[in-house]
Amino acid sequence: MSIADSTQFLCFLALSAAVLLGALGVVLLPNIVYSAFLLGGVFLAVAGLYLLLNASFVAAAQMMIYVGAVNVLILFAIMLVNKKETLAAIPGLGVRRILSGAVCAGLLGLLLRVDFTTPWALPGPVSIGEGATIRIGEHLFSDYLLPFELASVLLLMAMIGAIVLARRDVFSSDVITGEGVDQGLIEKARTPLLLEKNLQIQPVLEKTP
Amino acid sequence: MSLSSLFALTLPTTVPLQGFLAVAAVLFCTGVWGLINSRNAVRVLMSIELMLNGVNINLMAFSSYLDGQLIRGQVFTIFVITVAAAEAAVGLAILLSLYRNRDTVDMERFNLLRW
Amino acid sequence: MTLQAALEPVLALPAFLALAHSFPTSSLLAAAGASPAASPEALPAITALQINAGAIAPEAAVLVAMLACLLVDLAGEKAASRWVPPICYAGLGASLVLLALQWNAPLQPAFLGSFLPDNLSIAFRGVVASSTLLSLLISWRYVERSGTPVGEYAAILLAATLGAMVLCGSTDLVTIFVSLETLSVASYLLAGYMKRDARSSEASLKYLLVGSAAAAVFLYGASLLYGLTGGSTSLDAVALALQTATTPVAALALVFVLATVAFKIAAVPFHQWTPDVYEGSPTPVVAFLSVGSKAAGFALALRILVGCFEGFQEQWKLLFTVLAILSMVLGNIVALAQTSMKRMLAYSSIGQAGFVMIGLVCGTKDGFAAMVLYMAAYLFMNLGAFACIILFSLRTGSDRISDYAGLYQKDPLITLGLSLCLLSLGGIPPMLGFFAKIYLFFAGWADHQYLLVVVGLVTSVVSIYYYISVIKMMVVKEPQEASDVVKAYPPITWAVEGMQPLRAALITCVVITAVGGILSNPVFSWASTAVTGTPMLQRAITLASATSLS
Repeated sequence: MSIADSTQFLCFLALSAAVLLGALGVVLLPNIVYSAFLLGGVFLAVAGLYLLLNASFVAAAQMMIYVGAVNVLILFAIMLVNKKETLAAIPGLGVRRILSGAVCAGLLGLLLRVDFTTPWALPGPVSIGEGATIRIGEHLFSDYLLPFELASVLLLMAMIGAIVLARRDVFSSDVITGEGVDQGLIEKARTPLLLEKNLQIQPVLEKTP
Repeated sequence: MSLSSLFALTLPTTVPLQGFLAVAAVLFCTGVWGLINSRNAVRVLMSIELMLNGVNINLMAFSSYLDGQLIRGQVFTIFVITVAAAEAAVGLAILLSLYRNRDTVDMERFNLLRW
Repeated sequence: MTLQAALEPVLALPAFLALAHSFPTSSLLAAAGASPAASPEALPAITALQINAGAIAPEAAVLVAMLACLLVDLAGEKAASRWVPPICYAGLGASLVLLALQWNAPLQPAFLGSFLPDNLSIAFRGVVASSTLLSLLISWRYVERSGTPVGEYAAILLAATLGAMVLCGSTDLVTIFVSLETLSVASYLLAGYMKRDARSSEASLKYLLVGSAAAAVFLYGASLLYGLTGGSTSLDAVALALQTATTPVAALALVFVLATVAFKIAAVPFHQWTPDVYEGSPTPVVAFLSVGSKAAGFALALRILVGCFEGFQEQWKLLFTVLAILSMVLGNIVALAQTSMKRMLAYSSIGQAGFVMIGLVCGTKDGFAAMVLYMAAYLFMNLGAFACIILFSLRTGSDRISDYAGLYQKDPLITLGLSLCLLSLGGIPPMLGFFAKIYLFFAGWADHQYLLVVVGLVTSVVSIYYYISVIKMMVVKEPQEASDVVKAYPPITWAVEGMQPLRAALITCVVITAVGGILSNPVFSWASTAVTGTPMLQRAITLASATSLS
């Protein structure tokens, strides 16, 4: 085994360990802020694995999109909804966790068995190496043109939808009749309205029960 | 760039394909466990990201070991990353609007609708 | 035909220009998988014919309408509520016309094999586009009454339609994934669109979490399939690789992919999200989800299960038999106990999906044709029922079944429409639903699926019970027994803008549901052409008949 080989192997071991420990931390740590930072670590380690797989472009994309965008977004969300909340204890939670842990371990065993017993078509053609970025561009404009265009629709729609949902409208009204409205379902939770006052809906926010 | 070209010299790799697949499987299963057991809705979203990363490692490993020339797996991964980002943005917007209505992110208390 | 031919160069142009730029230096070797050693000169130029962008002309019409909605919306709410409806009608109408022009056209794969405009896809895309059109007709008043922006609502619904339509025809794992997610993400947004209502946000979050998990599971299955083919994502290559694959990996991929399909069509036990999402989402959105999204799910099921996993027919047919029985039994029995109209229709839609699965399990020509026919019939009868309950909730603000008591006295139109649609859903003779259902059962019986057919018949009877009890509630009650809501029923008026489209959709659906059964012969021949014009299904049918003979 040459030095380069063993370096690569050691890198793989270190990155895998970082990925797995980080993932466990994400799901197990009680403090959600630590979880979010560990998630960033997992994303970075996964980007490292991509470098090991000769995919510098995807590694860069992983870092910019997952670490730079998704993780930051998650941190923002945590800060926005971070209220000290004492979670009410639920009876049988420990048992539930252990049971689901057993199920997941079974799933893991199954996946590993499939991974190790299937005769994958090894060895494949030699890696394209640094030409990967060009090749990806060619794919995006030839056989993956349709998903590429559709992804643009998806992103546009997700952006607009996220703005519509997260925006805080202070006041809104029915454009046709000009009545005040509450931006809720027309079907109210309690039998309503008609009996109280003929259809004059007050723009009142529904309070938590 | 220089780091990846350093590794490009070492092909064929000594790390077997199954090594990457195993990491992916563990990551996926950790995500599933987190999905089932997390009580904080943000943590559920994070678990889903873990699952998607597991899938991506799978795709990248196959792409590098079995499809070195056409690397369709890398393109697939880019699509997954794109969609995951959109999904995370939408998920957090929905979470925010729910938090305004209910003042909590505890999954156990989202019970206006019976499961 | 001429219109499409005229459009084709126009549509192909931008894509072709992009290609012309990228290909002089290209070494993308014959995407069909030539040896990597071939020299760059040997590269075949990608022609407009291979792109065949005319195949997605119907989707392009929807896309143009979506962008136009967004642009018009910039001019303010007033302009949006004035102009968005006609834009949507034009876009979806053009889309339906273009689909009709593609019907029976010579089959030509599009986008280098990631999309196939066969008759099956056209039939399901037609169902999706019509369901969007009808859902939009019944949406306008609902959305404006709730004070949420109309332009964005229409744009997101059109994006969902676009995703669903591409999903119906996609023949490549990447395309399937992206279109599935376009449909799903748009559905999450629509489910949470009534953002000041905790129920709507909660439904949306639950849908998002379950849906994203399902997508991740699908992706894991897809990644295994990609590895199995040794580097190809097209469904043809997957089918080829699965013929020689070892059992464990194929079974795992099958289960993972099937779980996602079952999630999308809401088959028991992957149905838990359905009642919550249906109860918490805005009602017009539920109308779209129950028909459009489900139709896309069935198209995906046909594409993947029949197209790829034909070597594992025994296994997936067994799994689907179990799913179908569970769906029919649980969906129809739990629906008995519901007090909310939306929730009852949610469980009934689970049961209806179970009926459609009978056709999928058969795998004969009649089975597939019955599936297509049932989806088309379900489109009209279900959307008719939704139009009625939206009209009722607009007038009263309630969707509880007990509030419908004595409605006959105050609003004969809703009573008549809802009664006819529910009777059709239950499968009472002269209606469209009866013929569709009997065709399904006939196909199942001919294929010796006796258990499925018997369960289907018994649960149909159960379903008739709860449909009739709603009708009884509306019709039989004396005036003094009417609910408080009905006693205070507002005077009927259609003057408010947005009510006329609702009435048009209601009457269209009810008339087709009532009369369609008698005039159903063209629909039968349409459904069977959808099957005969689809090479993938033809292959499966020949295979099935060959095995049954031997």
